[in-house]
Amino acid sequence: MSVEQPGKTDSGVPSASLPSEGFRGFVSIALTLYLLGFTLTVACNSSSGSSTLLRTVKSKLFSPWMVPLWLDIGFDERLTYGQIDDADYLIMVEPWESSGEDMSIRLPAKGASGVAAARWRQLASWLEPGMVPEDVAGLLPSAMAENLFDDVGAEDVRVRTMRVVLTDREEFSAEDAAEPQYAPVAVARVRRVAGSVQLLPVEQERDVAPVVTPSAEQGATP
Amino acid sequence: MSSLSTSEPRPLSEQLGRAWNAFWFVPTNARGLAVIRIATAALGLLLWASYANDLQQWFGPEGVVSPSVIDSWRSSYGISLFDSATTAASLWALYAVGFVAFAALLVGIGTPFAAIAAAVLWVSLLHRGPMLVQPADDLLVILLWCLVIGRSGDAISLDARLRAIRKLPEAGPSVRNRLALSLLGVHASGIAVAAVLSQLKGDVWWDGTAAWWLVSGRDQAAGTLMAALAESDYLTNFVTHAITLFEIVFAAGVWVAGLRGFVVTMGLFGWPLIGLLSGDLLWGCGMATLGLAWAPPAWFAGRPALFAGR
Repeated sequence: MSVEQPGKTDSGVPSASLPSEGFRGFVSIALTLYLLGFTLTVACNSSSGSSTLLRTVKSKLFSPWMVPLWLDIGFDERLTYGQIDDADYLIMVEPWESSGEDMSIRLPAKGASGVAAARWRQLASWLEPGMVPEDVAGLLPSAMAENLFDDVGAEDVRVRTMRVVLTDREEFSAEDAAEPQYAPVAVARVRRVAGSVQLLPVEQERDVAPVVTPSAEQGATP
Repeated sequence: MSSLSTSEPRPLSEQLGRAWNAFWFVPTNARGLAVIRIATAALGLLLWASYANDLQQWFGPEGVVSPSVIDSWRSSYGISLFDSATTAASLWALYAVGFVAFAALLVGIGTPFAAIAAAVLWVSLLHRGPMLVQPADDLLVILLWCLVIGRSGDAISLDARLRAIRKLPEAGPSVRNRLALSLLGVHASGIAVAAVLSQLKGDVWWDGTAAWWLVSGRDQAAGTLMAALAESDYLTNFVTHAITLFEIVFAAGVWVAGLRGFVVTMGLFGWPLIGLLSGDLLWGCGMATLGLAWAPPAWFAGRPALFAGR
């Protein structure tokens, strides 16, 4: 952004074409305030957290006018990390009684690309526990299920949030790229009973040692 | 900002004041901002269109992001025109208005109003569904608000063409254009700094494997690139460090007059490439557009015949 210099003065700044001092003073104050707010959003909207002092100053003085304008951003982009949380997510909704994938709805659809698919992936990432405060954590799974009851053909559904399993470079194979593997990060059961939508807690399946039941031939007694 | 003064050195405060005035307040013509306007509107149309297929499923009367969900989710300061679109028809109508605003911004007709309408509607749409927002959406907000400040319709626009037909005097340099370009430039540099800060917190950017993790976590992973990165430690390390180095050079280089042309050119290719690698090409295109604010005015000296004023 090189500065044009029409009729510049001995100082290099074309004073004749500059706006009035009053205007410059007013705009300079506004710019200073905005740039301070911009710096605070970068400092506070970070996954590393922020200090109470900066957070309080930002929330009291800057958020009231920066949030409505969508300027309280921080630019702490997920895509700049290269961490496990950066992996893509998807949502699977299926009848609770069903175990196969034939009945399930997948969002985004398999093979979907583009920005719309990315928005579904972003939405899915918010379904992971810990991404949002507890009091609102159940809202999206319930809303997703309610929206899809008709499409799934059931009013008792399982909402699964899955994330791409990151592969170590040493273990990479061409098949991994063609068909990425997913691991569940959250499961919810949502049902509608008498018009009321209920979110039921689901115990995540865990890797445990198989239960061995001795057979009668081995001397087990009932 | 070269000084022709031969007298004794001026106090630091005076030098800073002059630099501040020169950076923010020297009137400039609208040509560079007009190019940014066209790129922004094209990006805006793409991002706006990305809501079309799922608009009702997201925001419709029975949508996933229902008013009760958004009430609990959104900051108390958040506000959206789309909150008032409570029927499918009104939602489509408001959405269509957004398309018209971005299209008007693209060709530069009624540009000041189109810029305000596009900015307000875009921010409204983001506030209606914050959980759907992508990094490119944030960049578009910055670009649009700066277009509201500047007079980007004064060049390469139907507005300029109409002025020429009516034989009105051509719009001259404006302080508003300078303010808009300078704000865009500061954001381009600041966002690059924010990206570097994010990266330097992560081990993978230090051990040189970040490029691999960026690519391998994608739903639609690029097999060929993954194979190449899997094949070579050095290539993975090189790509990782090149990204960080590029961002540092961009963030600092735009402030050095002699490097500006080179750095902006580098940004036009570098940002989209980083976007492509990380699965968000439009974010990269948005960053390249922001970087154009630093382009030397000579870049935009030519006049496209179709939209040229007199």
